[in-house]
Amino acid sequence: MLLPVLATLQAQEHGSITGSPFSTPADLMQGARLFRSTCAACHGLEATGGSNGPSLTTGTFKHGGTDEDLFRIITKGVPDTAMAAHPLDGEKVWQLIAFIRSVNIGNGAAQSKGNPAKGAEVFAANGCARCHTVGGTGGFLGPDLSDIGARQSLAQLETSVLDPNAEVSPEYWSLHARTKSGQNVAGIRMNEDMDSFQIREASGRLRSLWKADLASSEIVHTSPMPPFRGKLQAQELEDLVAYLATLRTRGGSVK
Amino acid sequence: MKRFVGLVAFAAFLPAVVAAQVPFDRIARAASEQRDWLTYSGNLASTRYSKLDQIKPLNAGSLDLKWVYQAQSLQKFEATPLVIDGVMYTVEPPNTAVAIDTRTGRPYWMYRHTMPPTTYVCCGNVNRGLAVLDDTLYMGTLDAQLVALDISTGRKKWQTQVAEYNKGYGVTLAPLVVKDKIVVGPAGGELGIAGFLAAYDAKTGRELWRFNTVPHPGEPGNETWAGDSWKTGGASVWVTGSYDPELNLVYWGTGNPGPDWNPAMRPGANLYSDSVIALDADTGKLKWYYQFTPNDEWDFDSVQIPVLADLNWKGKPRKAILWGNRNGFFYVLDRTNGEFLLGKPFVKQTWAVGLEETGKPIKAPGKSPSSTGTDVYPGVQGGTNWYSPSFSPHTSLFYLTAWEDYHTSYFTWEQQYEAGKSFTGGTARGPFPSIMRDPFITWDQSWGHGVVRALNPLTGEKAWEYKMRDVSDAGILTTAGDVLFSGNREGYFFALDARTGKELWKRYLGSQVAASPITYTVDGVQYVSIAAGHSLFTFALRK
Repeated sequence: MLLPVLATLQAQEHGSITGSPFSTPADLMQGARLFRSTCAACHGLEATGGSNGPSLTTGTFKHGGTDEDLFRIITKGVPDTAMAAHPLDGEKVWQLIAFIRSVNIGNGAAQSKGNPAKGAEVFAANGCARCHTVGGTGGFLGPDLSDIGARQSLAQLETSVLDPNAEVSPEYWSLHARTKSGQNVAGIRMNEDMDSFQIREASGRLRSLWKADLASSEIVHTSPMPPFRGKLQAQELEDLVAYLATLRTRGGSVK
Repeated sequence: MKRFVGLVAFAAFLPAVVAAQVPFDRIARAASEQRDWLTYSGNLASTRYSKLDQIKPLNAGSLDLKWVYQAQSLQKFEATPLVIDGVMYTVEPPNTAVAIDTRTGRPYWMYRHTMPPTTYVCCGNVNRGLAVLDDTLYMGTLDAQLVALDISTGRKKWQTQVAEYNKGYGVTLAPLVVKDKIVVGPAGGELGIAGFLAAYDAKTGRELWRFNTVPHPGEPGNETWAGDSWKTGGASVWVTGSYDPELNLVYWGTGNPGPDWNPAMRPGANLYSDSVIALDADTGKLKWYYQFTPNDEWDFDSVQIPVLADLNWKGKPRKAILWGNRNGFFYVLDRTNGEFLLGKPFVKQTWAVGLEETGKPIKAPGKSPSSTGTDVYPGVQGGTNWYSPSFSPHTSLFYLTAWEDYHTSYFTWEQQYEAGKSFTGGTARGPFPSIMRDPFITWDQSWGHGVVRALNPLTGEKAWEYKMRDVSDAGILTTAGDVLFSGNREGYFFALDARTGKELWKRYLGSQVAASPITYTVDGVQYVSIAAGHSLFTFALRK
C-alpha cells in the first residue's frame, strides 16, 4: 500500500510541504508507523476515517489544510471536538504531516490513464444516473457520487464498478420485511433501534415500522447494483474510473 | 437496457417516479390542513393557527411526552419544524438539516452544511427552519447561501449565493415558497449590510427578482438616506414573511437601520427599514410599504411575522395585517394598500407620546440614545420580537408574547464602518435580561417580565394575559380546540385556554424555549412539538 503512494508523493506537487524539513521517504515510513500508533484509533488504519475522526485522505481539512494548520491541529488539538492535543516532538509531527499528505487520494484523476469525458459517456450510457446522484441530479437509490473521486482511490473505484458487493456500506443495506397483516415491505435501512426500523422505499418515501408489527424481517447486505465485471470493455472501464475520479466536490455532507 | 437484467431481482428497489409530495396548491391550502405542518408559520397567512381540535381545555392536562430529539449542536434551537407525510424536517443550529420520524423521534438522514470557519453573525448561530416545495427542501445558511435538498435523502441538489458572508450577510430565516419561487433575504443589521429580499427559481436556484430594502441610488426612497449612509443602512430580513394568493402580494417585515443607535449618522426616514413591504410576487416590485419607526434610534426591528386576517372592521369586511411591533405598539393595516387602521401600545413605552392619524409616531423629547445612556421603555429586545404571534379565527383574538415593564439604557457613539464587523453606533445596557445567559433567574421584578397577551384586533384592547416571572422568546400556537401553546426562558412549555388565558398544563423542559410550537397528526393522533435548549420535545394526549 505504501509503495505506490510513495511514488506518487514524489511525483506530486505538494505546495507548502516543501516547508517541511522531514519529508523524505524514510520520514514518511516513520510517519506511517506513528500514525498507526497515535492516530488510527480515531481516523482509521488507512486514515480513511473512523468512528471518532474524519477521513484525512480527501485533501480538504475542516480546520485548515496548510502545513502550519496541520501542525497546530496535531499539537494543540481542536477545541470542542474529539481531536485532542498531541504534544509530540516537531520532527514526529512533520513525519505525520508527510504521511497525511501521502494518503491524499484526491489526485486520482491526475494519475488515471483513462479519458474522463469518454467516461462520462459510459456513465450515461449505462444508466448509472438512475441510481446515483452527481452534482445534484440523478437517482437516490445508490450513494451520491458527487465527491467520490475525493473519497476513493482508483483501485477502489474500479472494484466498486466491477463488484459492487465487495464492500457495501451499512447505510446501503436493505430491509426486507413482511408485516403481520401480510404486506411486503422493502427499502434502504436508514436507522434501526430495539423497537423500530426507519427505511427509504424505492418510491423515495420515508417510512417507519414497529418491529412488533412485523412477522419477519431480514437485513440484506448485498448491493442492488448489478456487477459490471465482463460487461464493460477495458477501455470503457478505465474511462469510467477516470471520470469518477474527477468527481470531487459536494460541499456539506449527508449521513 | 440489457445491462439492467441484474436489477430485476431488485425490482422492489427500482426508483419509481415519485409524485411531488408538496405541490404549491397544497401549501396554498395549508390553512385547512388536518395533518401536516407545511410552512414556517403553518400557512401562508402566518396565523400559526391549526384546525386540529383533539387537544382541548378539558383534556390538555393529560398531555404526555412522546419523544425527545437531542441536537448534536449545543447552540440554541430556534427552528420551526415542517411535518410532511409523517416525517419532520428541521434544522439543528447552525445549518444541519435533519429528517426525523414523527412516531419514534429517530432521524432518517442529516445534511451538514459546511461553511467557512470565519462565518460570523451578530446574535447566535441560529437558523429558523426550512421551506418545502414538491420534493425539495430549502435552507438558508449563515454563510449566506440558499441550499436545495432532496427530501428523501437530504442530498444537496444545488446551492446558490444570496450575498457575501464576509461582508456581514447571513441567512437565518426559514425561506418562503411562493408558487415556483423561493423568497429569502439576509440578516446582518448589526454588521452594516444593505438589505434586500430576493426570489429564486425553485428548480435551479437562479435569482428571479430582488427588492432592495435599502434603496440604491436612482431607486425611490434612496433620498431618505443622507449621503452614502444607505450603503450600510441595514434593513435586514431575518424572519419569514407571508403571502396573499388573491392579491398576489408577498408581505415582509424589515429590520433596523444601521448603525442601530446613532441616527445622526443617517439623517432621514431611512426607508424601508422598520417597515412592512408588500411586493408583487411575480416581479418583486413594491406595491406599498408602511414604516412603523422612521429614523429609528432604538433598534426596533420590524421583522415580526405579518399576520394576515380578514376582519369585520366597523361593519365592513377588511383584509388586514395584524402587527405587534418591537417598538411596543400593536398595529392593524389594510393589506390591500397599507392604510393605517389602528395603532395602540401593548406594553409600557416611553419613546413616543402617541401616533399621528397616519400612525406615524410622535417621538417623545429626551429619549434619544446619549453618551451617558438614556432610559427607554421598551428595552432593546423590544415589546415583542421575532418569535411568532398567532391569530385564531375561532376566538377572533390576536396573541403575542410580550416583555412588559421592561427598559434599557441606550448609548450612542460615532462608529467607523469595517466590512463584516459590528456596526451599531452605540449599545444598550441593563439592567435587562440578556439574550444569552445561564439558567439562574436572579434579577429584580422591576426589570421587566414576560406575558402572553391576547388582544382584540378591532380595538387593540387586552382580552387577557398570562404573566411569567422571566421574559420569553417563545412563539405562540393556537388551535381549533381553543388551546394556546407557548413557552418561556424559565424552561416551561405550557398550554392555556385560548379564550380565558387559564393555565391548563405545563412542563419544565430544562432549558429556555426560544422557538415557536407546531401541531400535526401522526396515525390520526394530534401531536405538539417544541424546541427547548438544544432539544426538540413532542407531546400527545395520554391514551
